[in-house]
Amino acid sequence: MTVAGGSRADPPAAPDPAGTEASVERGARAAALLVESGAVLAGALDFAITLSQVARLTVPDLADLCVIDLQDQEGGISELAVAAAQPGLAEGLEALRKRHPLDPEGAHPVARVIRSGESELLAAMSEQQLRSFAQASEHSRFMVDSGYRSAVVAPLTARGRTLGALSTIRLADSEPYDEQDRELVCELARRAALALDNAQLFSDAQAMERRLEAVLENLAEAITVVEETGHTVFANQAALELLGIDSHEHLLQARPGEIMKRFVVLDESGRELDFEAMPARRLFRGEPAPPLLVRNIVRETGEERWLIVRASPIAGPASGRMEYVVNVFENVTEVKRAQLAEAFMAQASRVLSSSLDYAETLRRVARLAANQLADWCALDVLDERGELERVAVHHNDPGKLALAELLGRSYRPTLVDAMGVSDVIRTGEARIFNDVSDEDLETYASDAEHLRLLREVGARDVIIVPLLAPARMLGALTLVSSHGGRRLTEADLGVAVRLGRRAGTAVESARLYTVRSRIARVLQRALLPDSLPELPGFQIAASYRPAGELNEVGGDFYDVFPCGGDEWMLVIGDVCGKGAEAASVTALARHTLRTAAMLDARPAAMLELLHRTLRQQEPEGEMCTVCLVRVRAGGARAELTIALAGHPRPLLVGPGEQALALGRPGTLLGMVDPISVEETAHQLGPGQTLLLFTDGVAEASRAQPGLSVERLGARLHDVALQDMLEQIETVAVQCAGGQPHDDIALLGLRLSRIAAVSLESNEL
Amino acid sequence: MSTGDQLQIAIRRGSGRVILELEGELDMASSGRLREALDGACLNGSRTVVLDLRGVSFLDSTGLKAIFGVRNAVCAAGAEFAVTPGSAQVRRLLSLTRLDEHLHTIATPDSALA
Repeated sequence: MTVAGGSRADPPAAPDPAGTEASVERGARAAALLVESGAVLAGALDFAITLSQVARLTVPDLADLCVIDLQDQEGGISELAVAAAQPGLAEGLEALRKRHPLDPEGAHPVARVIRSGESELLAAMSEQQLRSFAQASEHSRFMVDSGYRSAVVAPLTARGRTLGALSTIRLADSEPYDEQDRELVCELARRAALALDNAQLFSDAQAMERRLEAVLENLAEAITVVEETGHTVFANQAALELLGIDSHEHLLQARPGEIMKRFVVLDESGRELDFEAMPARRLFRGEPAPPLLVRNIVRETGEERWLIVRASPIAGPASGRMEYVVNVFENVTEVKRAQLAEAFMAQASRVLSSSLDYAETLRRVARLAANQLADWCALDVLDERGELERVAVHHNDPGKLALAELLGRSYRPTLVDAMGVSDVIRTGEARIFNDVSDEDLETYASDAEHLRLLREVGARDVIIVPLLAPARMLGALTLVSSHGGRRLTEADLGVAVRLGRRAGTAVESARLYTVRSRIARVLQRALLPDSLPELPGFQIAASYRPAGELNEVGGDFYDVFPCGGDEWMLVIGDVCGKGAEAASVTALARHTLRTAAMLDARPAAMLELLHRTLRQQEPEGEMCTVCLVRVRAGGARAELTIALAGHPRPLLVGPGEQALALGRPGTLLGMVDPISVEETAHQLGPGQTLLLFTDGVAEASRAQPGLSVERLGARLHDVALQDMLEQIETVAVQCAGGQPHDDIALLGLRLSRIAAVSLESNEL
Repeated sequence: MSTGDQLQIAIRRGSGRVILELEGELDMASSGRLREALDGACLNGSRTVVLDLRGVSFLDSTGLKAIFGVRNAVCAAGAEFAVTPGSAQVRRLLSLTRLDEHLHTIATPDSALA
């Protein structure tokens, strides 16, 4: 559109000498018409109304009757707008067209023009001509009676497509049309077509937008769209629920940053993040904004969630400038809690096994539990006479530690208490008490001083779990969170129960040293996936053989899990060391990698995160080697992305080929900073197998090169995958004289020969 | 199970350098003894500690951990630390884990530290 609404082009000021005056005036009228139509066409996006206005503009100066016809999607022609100077004429034509729609293949000029895309000037139409155009005798009579004399029919053409036709008709007494009129009508039609096309695009876009909105509304992930001012312009239902807001209006009217004030937002290391640290704000400042993992605590309720926040920019179609940012919030609370629980248990296991002086050990457990789970923690143990003794207390607030200790000394729980610690010890059942009220404290307190102490130390949520040795009740562990702190949940209860068992086992181990080995074997079962998932189009198998005597637990682990779309992650690794300590680090490594994949599924980034996690472990010095393979299924070949950290390179074996080692060596994790890990890209073809294994396999291979995993893999390429792995394992055990130094773990992935994902490929 | 008897450690001194000569297998069973040997070696006045691994026939990840334990203790004491890698297995493990990039390696225990 060339003209903005409101202004009108002036006619030329000084007419030329006589004779040209009429043509000048005609030119001025034509210009004015185009300007007016421009204003109308630029105005509205409802094309039916718009085109009616255009038709009316042509009457009476340019036409006595104006008709705009459109071709519909089925190819038929329907009239959209009619305007006439003479009363009743427009209505008459509309009624007639309803009864006798134009035949798109017929001889009527409108049909001809729509077919050809070329305009027609019918300067003077005879009665005979009019009859030949007519669809019916009634139609013919109408044209003759109305005095049709001269007409211009111009195509409505936009982007190479003819959308319809604009016809102007002059009746009996009016001047016939000439070439100049034809040009004007064509120009008008061209502009009208453009407006019509835009309007259709707009209504298509609106329909698309409505569909998209419906899709977004139904997504499980919370999604918001924000603009640079910080205002939210869109939020789906999941986002409202996540943010705890009752209506869209409320959110859309909120001031920037106002919603965020309802939450404490912390990063992984517990630092508070402000509004400007959010990925969307970073994008608007032109900074890179990688996905951010945040711990989000609802101020009002104390509820805690872990969220991954991803932001992506949306550029305006015209400016190309970033206008909006889409935020996607993924709730990863469960996965993150599992990881934290494993990290906590790993630490607890090491703390517990670091000393045989269990009184000291229990003091460390109390400190660890208080630091990571609650505000304070107390441990009560039954002595030889069967009486409870408070062996350890820790409070995170040094100012309140003395108070907590005094409470334990002066008001030691006894077995005759009906509630709390004694109840848990009697029944062996863990308890959680949320929202402990002042009345509850009054009921529990044995005298005024007791009540005063309880109130001062503070208790909002309380967890009490048994300190349980395999066959014996040893005591109880109590966790307390005060007001203003983190809330204790059912998930924490689960962690505390496990801690109670581990601590109980440690105490018992001090007396019965061999018990540790049994616990270690139980732990080992938690290290490996129960079963491998099914990957359509692939065969997958694993084998695992721990080294040494029965009382050893290995540090090898493997895992397979989906990471979005057609992608899967294969994991194999080896934690330094053996026994219960190694086992706890193994669990930590597996869970950390699963969380890492949710945050950033690039193998190198996942290794980096696991490295940082291991470096943060106390006491330090936990290390492991890992091989990660991200598998993208889909086409005839699977795409592999491999990253290694101190781990032997996986092998690619297939029919008629020598085994090929893939990937580049990377630094062992947890030992030194910085690490260097690189990703490499490979392909797995139909019938080819990718073999991942731990150093125990490689070590055995080196003892007898003729029986190396490379040679065995190549030789066994067409044996069923599980058998292939078991044969390699057997040979490795034999090479080590039946007593391998190290665990032996193998994980294999084979792309079926029928590569495409189909029903046949699932029968494997 | 190995008992750790398979590792022998000899200590040699000269011109401000302490050399720990290892012979046998450096693995989980024996790695504790390396640390004991270092603690007993008394670094007073030594500018450099060299771990001579040429006699090591087998090294695993716990052995690596022990080597880095020694390295960290030596560096904390303000001395320099170097290793003489020796066997193919030791060199392979060091390059597989890329820990060679974090160690000063020299050809023989008496080579100059570049």
